[in-house]
Amino acid sequence: MSTASLRGAAAVVGVADLHYKRGEAPHGELRMTLEAIVAACADAGMSPRELDGFVSYAGGGHDGAILGAALGVEEVRWSNMMWGGGGGTVAAALNNAAVAIATGQAECVVVFRAMAQEDSGRLGYAKYFYGPHYLAHGVGSPAQVCALRTQRLLEHDGVPREALRALVLAAYRHAQNNPTAAGYGRPLDEEGYESSRMITEPFHLYDCSRESDGAVALVLVSAERAKAMRPDAAYVLAGAQGAPGGYSSIIDNDDLYTSAGFAARPGRSGVADRLWAAAGLGPDDVDVVQVYENFSGPAVAALIDHGLAPAGPSAGEVLTVDNLTAGIGKLPVNTSGGNIADSFVNGMGLAVEAVRQIRGTSTNPVADTHISLFIGGPMAPLVSSTLFGREDTL
Amino acid sequence: MSESSPEAAVERDDVDARVREYLWGPAADGLDQPYWDGLVAGELRLQRCGNCAEWIWGPQWICGACHTFDPGWAAVEAVGTVYSWSRSHYPFITELADRTPYVTVLVELPAADNRRVLGILTGDDADGVRIGQRVVGHFELDEGATWPLLRWRRDSTEGARS
Repeated sequence: MSTASLRGAAAVVGVADLHYKRGEAPHGELRMTLEAIVAACADAGMSPRELDGFVSYAGGGHDGAILGAALGVEEVRWSNMMWGGGGGTVAAALNNAAVAIATGQAECVVVFRAMAQEDSGRLGYAKYFYGPHYLAHGVGSPAQVCALRTQRLLEHDGVPREALRALVLAAYRHAQNNPTAAGYGRPLDEEGYESSRMITEPFHLYDCSRESDGAVALVLVSAERAKAMRPDAAYVLAGAQGAPGGYSSIIDNDDLYTSAGFAARPGRSGVADRLWAAAGLGPDDVDVVQVYENFSGPAVAALIDHGLAPAGPSAGEVLTVDNLTAGIGKLPVNTSGGNIADSFVNGMGLAVEAVRQIRGTSTNPVADTHISLFIGGPMAPLVSSTLFGREDTL
Repeated sequence: MSESSPEAAVERDDVDARVREYLWGPAADGLDQPYWDGLVAGELRLQRCGNCAEWIWGPQWICGACHTFDPGWAAVEAVGTVYSWSRSHYPFITELADRTPYVTVLVELPAADNRRVLGILTGDDADGVRIGQRVVGHFELDEGATWPLLRWRRDSTEGARS
């Protein structure tokens, strides 16, 4: 059945991450997208004119024809948008670029996302994405849908609330070493977390991600070309995506309600299982994780789904602040500060940090990183993951 | 115009009433019309396939179990248990800002093969809401609203039963 393997076929050779405080971007989304793409190409040491593929996700604007024309490329061979909101397809966008390269549809693909409040409004604020069967009952934002799922994760499944807090505090600890993080110079302790105002229970203010203006771009090329370009390229070892249980069209009647969407169901492999199988690796092989945390609860559920932490009350034994901290713990997570303490350009900055860990250029480097996992938006309608490896892991 | 002027407040109320109408009520495509008609009649109606008896929620054009189109509707007793809940403090929906904080419950309905429906929990005892508690549905027409809504109360007989 399979004709082209994704494993090691493509690699990230250039990255750029421009972010600003929400509402303070100096330019609109198109301009910032172009800036990020040009910067990522410069990081890769190549001309933007060589790009022939463009991939974004979740309703981002500006397709390959627009960007290709602006950049003066020779030809646009691949221009795709991954459906699905909530950051769920951010990793799927990377996977899509790798698929294009692995199958010869394109040779040099840039994955991008830009957000500027002036162009697209404030994402978390009453966009009325939800239909009347949510709105009539006071549910009008992803925070509330994720809160309902997280409440059951805590109260019914028994995951301790301290596990959510640990994820948040580790992110803030990482941000203290990252001068460009929004949380830099703003350390957060248990008391500060606990005393912050409630947003929608069980989420405090600090359980919720930031929203930044900015643009992020990652350039992928074939493995052959990557080897010639740089020794620290981040190879795509595996990617997987999926849509469990129907989600929004069945109004909170999906199976595995407290799953983040990556878990297997009886008789069905889940996204996480497919990721590990495709890579020939397991959760114990991962050196560092970047998990999309629009809210802390779904991120904890995503770590459980991927087998990185046990389900239920034992999750608290693995998900401690120290164990999630780079240089100290066995499961360093969101080492730039993540969406919560660094910046949020629809979660794409996390992919850049996953690449930086492979390169060894993170501000919180995890020693001798060979395997770097990026997990896309948990508890979104469609979710995805990408596993990166160093050249010597191929 | 000053936002605090009485004139502004009146205008704001008018806008809210219109928006409330927009926020809920039957979809333009008619798919969920029987649900809303049921609320007016004081009944909770969900889809139930006339061919294979599958309960379906939210509204669908087709039964996912047997692929019968326009699967049909049935009334179901509005009694269930809290599957999950969240108390919203931030006014995510500006038109409901005057209600915050409010508790939204996801209620599992044993009479509909444990299909789950959302609703706001009313009553003074909403503070003590927990998963697994029995709740009973009722139908409320908000001031200025066109369509009534299904809301939930803790079952006052629960203590006596257990």
